[in-house]
Amino acid sequence: MIGVIVISLGVYFVMTVYVLPEKFLAKEQFTPSPILEVKISNTEINLGESFRVSTVSENIGEYGDIHIVSIAFPTLSEIDEIVRIVSYDFSNSPIYIAAGDRIGANYSGGLESVIAEYPAIEAMNRPTHPGTKYVMDLQITPKIPGPFVVYVKSIDIPHTSSQSHYPKEGKMDHQGEYVFDYTIKVNP
Amino acid sequence: MEIKQKQIGNLLTFNSQRIFLAGSVLASFGILLVTVGGSWDITNHLLNKPETFFSPPHALMYSGVAIALIGVVTSFFGYRKMQDAKFVFRLPLQLTFFGIFLLVGAGPFDFVWHSNFGLDGLLSPPHLTLISGMLFCSLGGMFGITRFLKFNPSRKILNYLLVLGILPVWLAGSGIISSLSLPFSNTEYFEFNPDPSFAFVVATLAYPFLISLICITSTILSGFRPGIISIVGGLFLLIYGLTAIVPNFAMIESVEFYSMNIIPFLITDLMVSSKKTKFSLFVSGGILGSVFYMVYYPYVMYTYNELLLGKLVSPSMIYHTYFELMPQVIQLTIIPSIIMGLIAVVISFRLSSTIMIED
Repeated sequence: MIGVIVISLGVYFVMTVYVLPEKFLAKEQFTPSPILEVKISNTEINLGESFRVSTVSENIGEYGDIHIVSIAFPTLSEIDEIVRIVSYDFSNSPIYIAAGDRIGANYSGGLESVIAEYPAIEAMNRPTHPGTKYVMDLQITPKIPGPFVVYVKSIDIPHTSSQSHYPKEGKMDHQGEYVFDYTIKVNP
Repeated sequence: MEIKQKQIGNLLTFNSQRIFLAGSVLASFGILLVTVGGSWDITNHLLNKPETFFSPPHALMYSGVAIALIGVVTSFFGYRKMQDAKFVFRLPLQLTFFGIFLLVGAGPFDFVWHSNFGLDGLLSPPHLTLISGMLFCSLGGMFGITRFLKFNPSRKILNYLLVLGILPVWLAGSGIISSLSLPFSNTEYFEFNPDPSFAFVVATLAYPFLISLICITSTILSGFRPGIISIVGGLFLLIYGLTAIVPNFAMIESVEFYSMNIIPFLITDLMVSSKKTKFSLFVSGGILGSVFYMVYYPYVMYTYNELLLGKLVSPSMIYHTYFELMPQVIQLTIIPSIIMGLIAVVISFRLSSTIMIED
């Protein structure tokens, strides 16, 4: 019986400490990969009128833990009643980020952080399966004339490479992350 | 006439003890549901970050509290009708009463906490109240079941009720250790995450101690019955597997790794039930203590990651980080974990004597 016990214990430790860990570590980690389509209803409006920002995003990569779409407003100091969420189908309620909040930076998932220079709205879906689409629709009513700028981006977590964010190049925001930028002319 | 009265008295006592047993079984089963719901809740928070108190794991947990409450009330009625042997069941009743008091109080406390401070982390005043209540109530259930079986030798199959008594104690004990060692407790309002060094020490000493204590105590209480360690260990693995691994899509394939953990339970079961010696118990305790890092897969990784790697680990990266840490963790913890497994054997002797009312 001692032989059976020793052999079984040996098999257990060899399998759990050497064989299976090697096997699992050899596997590639999942790489989720977002894409994003943004529709701006107007490029020019009169003061008092509204325009819509509609996003359709999708994870076209592998399974991921979190799918994020962020819409920021660099010409605003606070969101107030200017931005209204019309609809969204993300699993978690979108959160408002105020200027001055501490937020993640450089696609680090929170390990690096910066102070937000302007407000944003961030929507999350947890987890994110390949091929699933997510929509969010905002209505924006600017309160002052002039150019109104909107930044939009999408990030998937785990962020293992440049595959896990969209856009992959272009303008950088206050978080050191690439964004699409749109300017809407607000006439007096 | 006197003989008839004595017979009636004996019958009443036996029936009241059976009522007490039924109450203890319900209390243990209720706590089992609470602990299963608790483990599921941790996974749910990690994967989905629920925004409301009303989630399926919470529903399971509070259904368990209701069942445990019915169990405690049933035990109380059984206890009141006992003619003699009240001293045998007093301690189990006191434990379940104290436990259910904490549990029932934890519900509204948790709701008020959520309402004022949003979602709380793993370690928070209401959660600590809940887990302490779980531990006391499950201990009461286990004491009640074990003492009934000792003083009412009956059909052998009833002896396996011991498994139902012991399993919630293991899960509740694990809950306390996890609360004090996992970095899941910082929130917007409070930073309750344990210090990484403190968490490292707690996990390294307490998990191996608990595995060994539970398995060795269960085999002693069952009279070295074959299969008890395997059933208790197997059910623990099944519950952890179903609540912590299977819900995470990225980890499903690691079930292959986790299921290997049945081997140490089978080996120690075989050794203890065939040898029935103190030496075999100590060897088993050492073996059971040494495998804690594997048995507590996957979340134990977060505790060691805090101090050894400091990586940000999202749910789909858990097993990569777990296996990456494994050589270092085993090197650092193997000796203390074996020692804690051995110490637990000594404590098991004392605990078993207390439960069985043996001097």
